[in-house]
Amino acid sequence: MVRVLAALVVGVVLAIGASISVVNVVAPSPQPPNKPLYNYGNR
Amino acid sequence: MRGRRFVGAVPVLAGLILGLVALGPALKPGFVLRYDMVFVPDPPVMWQVSGFPRAVPSDLVVALLSHIAPAQVVQKLILVGIFVLAGSGAAGLIPGDRPAPRVAAAVFYVWNAYLAQRLLLGQWALLLGFAGLPWAVRAAARGGGPWRLALALLPAAIGGFQAMLVSALAVLPVAATRPGRRLRGTLEAVAVIAVLSLPWAIPALLSEAVTDPAGVEAFAPRADGPFGTVGSLLSLGGIWNAEADVPGQSAWWLATARLIIAVIAVAAFVLLPRPLTGGQTPPQAPAGDDTPPQVPVSGEAPAQVPVSGEAPYRAGLLLAACAGLVIALTGAYAPGMLKSLIAWWPGFGPLRDGQLYIAPLALVQAIGFGLFTGRVCRPEEGRGGVRGGVVMTAVVAALLPVLVMPLFAFGAAGRLVAVGYPEEWRRVQAIVNGDPRPGALLSLPWGAHRAFAWNGGRVILDPATKAFARRVVWNDALAVGLGRGRILQVAGEDRLGRRIGAVLGTRTGPLTAVLRAAGIRYVLIVRQNENTFRSRLPGAVPAFVGREMTLLRL
Repeated sequence: MVRVLAALVVGVVLAIGASISVVNVVAPSPQPPNKPLYNYGNR
Repeated sequence: MRGRRFVGAVPVLAGLILGLVALGPALKPGFVLRYDMVFVPDPPVMWQVSGFPRAVPSDLVVALLSHIAPAQVVQKLILVGIFVLAGSGAAGLIPGDRPAPRVAAAVFYVWNAYLAQRLLLGQWALLLGFAGLPWAVRAAARGGGPWRLALALLPAAIGGFQAMLVSALAVLPVAATRPGRRLRGTLEAVAVIAVLSLPWAIPALLSEAVTDPAGVEAFAPRADGPFGTVGSLLSLGGIWNAEADVPGQSAWWLATARLIIAVIAVAAFVLLPRPLTGGQTPPQAPAGDDTPPQVPVSGEAPAQVPVSGEAPYRAGLLLAACAGLVIALTGAYAPGMLKSLIAWWPGFGPLRDGQLYIAPLALVQAIGFGLFTGRVCRPEEGRGGVRGGVVMTAVVAALLPVLVMPLFAFGAAGRLVAVGYPEEWRRVQAIVNGDPRPGALLSLPWGAHRAFAWNGGRVILDPATKAFARRVVWNDALAVGLGRGRILQVAGEDRLGRRIGAVLGTRTGPLTAVLRAAGIRYVLIVRQNENTFRSRLPGAVPAFVGREMTLLRL
């Protein structure tokens, strides 16, 4: 029973965190992605 | 029998489902083009290498498969296949026949920062090796002859040098530390790896390619979250390119959860070596028997239970994970050492991108996560059977890797999508590939990467490098942004490319004669600088002039 409760708590907490992350990323951002365009990448 | 089939099929199904979820829009008609992942329609079957053979033999295999199915279908099958192969392979390393730990291992191995970041960097060939790694480790641990190991290493052999190096890093220690015939197994592994590496090793030695030590700084692991470079690497991230990060990956709560899971998984791998089949006592091996003991896995008769209770790959894989982590950390914290090595011999060049060598650590964590899940979800003694609570706990545990990196889903929130090449590309390809006269093609503007509007502005390697059945001369120097507008230039590896680049950069006036003398027959100009450059090619005949591309014949 304790394991099930712990699993539920962990699952719910992480699901909330994941949802917040999704909302943050999906929300419009003033910065354009992938810049500068002609570099292999940025570090 | 049905139960065993079910146990074997569930990780395959998990890999397939998660692959479909991760790729999402990338599975629509068209090509997925991002960084190093450049597939073209009707790729030519040719064996010609310029510079270091990075795409050998992967491009050749794709070209051959494209004679059976369209190239875009081949690409999608490879990408989905990576997830299926990786998931089922990781599950196969879990001792016992309980589905929960096997599915958990499968989910972890296909849904982690390493796979996601390398996919977003377009390194599908490396990921073939990553997907085949559990199979190779299993083959090396069980013995059974070189053919079994060769078959397990086939995905890595197709992937090329990065995939084989990562596989060798894990396979050799496993073969050297497994119980039983260690020396013979190690020699067999060395021989198999050497033979399967010939397709890229020979061109690499003959190519006279040079490696710029500046690449160590450019491609060193970096922090992609709040826990620094070490924390990022332990969480299987830390790739050098910020644009290969999974969206939302750096959020502190998700980074914290990933790091906690990583630490638990490593601890479980180290502390839970015994098969979790529930109270069985391993039999003693007969005296003088040197056959390697094996872990019982699903679908096999549990006749050979490990004498010590340990999985035969455990010590070797742990060693490989530590070695990989050390290589990655060396690039980050002691770059001078790597620079000296590369300056001494360019063959050390592949070590500059150190983060890729943490692949064995990913496998360690996947197995550890599976073992941990098995321990947490084991039925309580005396109650027997599988209860609803156990199933619920198992489902939550198996979903943890997804919950801590949710935006890998749906093509990493739109980073991976399928697009179609404009008709101009097909027409230019037909003209060049239909010309029987020899001569190279020079691709301009003089830069390795392109960002086309029709591809959503995503950065990709110049598709011209893959599309034509003749030598393509291009600028393989890499520009890496270091922040605040600073750009680090990593010199190109192809000597002819360097020579042409010097001509383009320093000479003024007509270039036609110089380029002809260098063996150039075609000049392909994509939009930028078209007017400027054409004036420097008197006598060149336009073979195609379109909105995006101009093809000149010298």
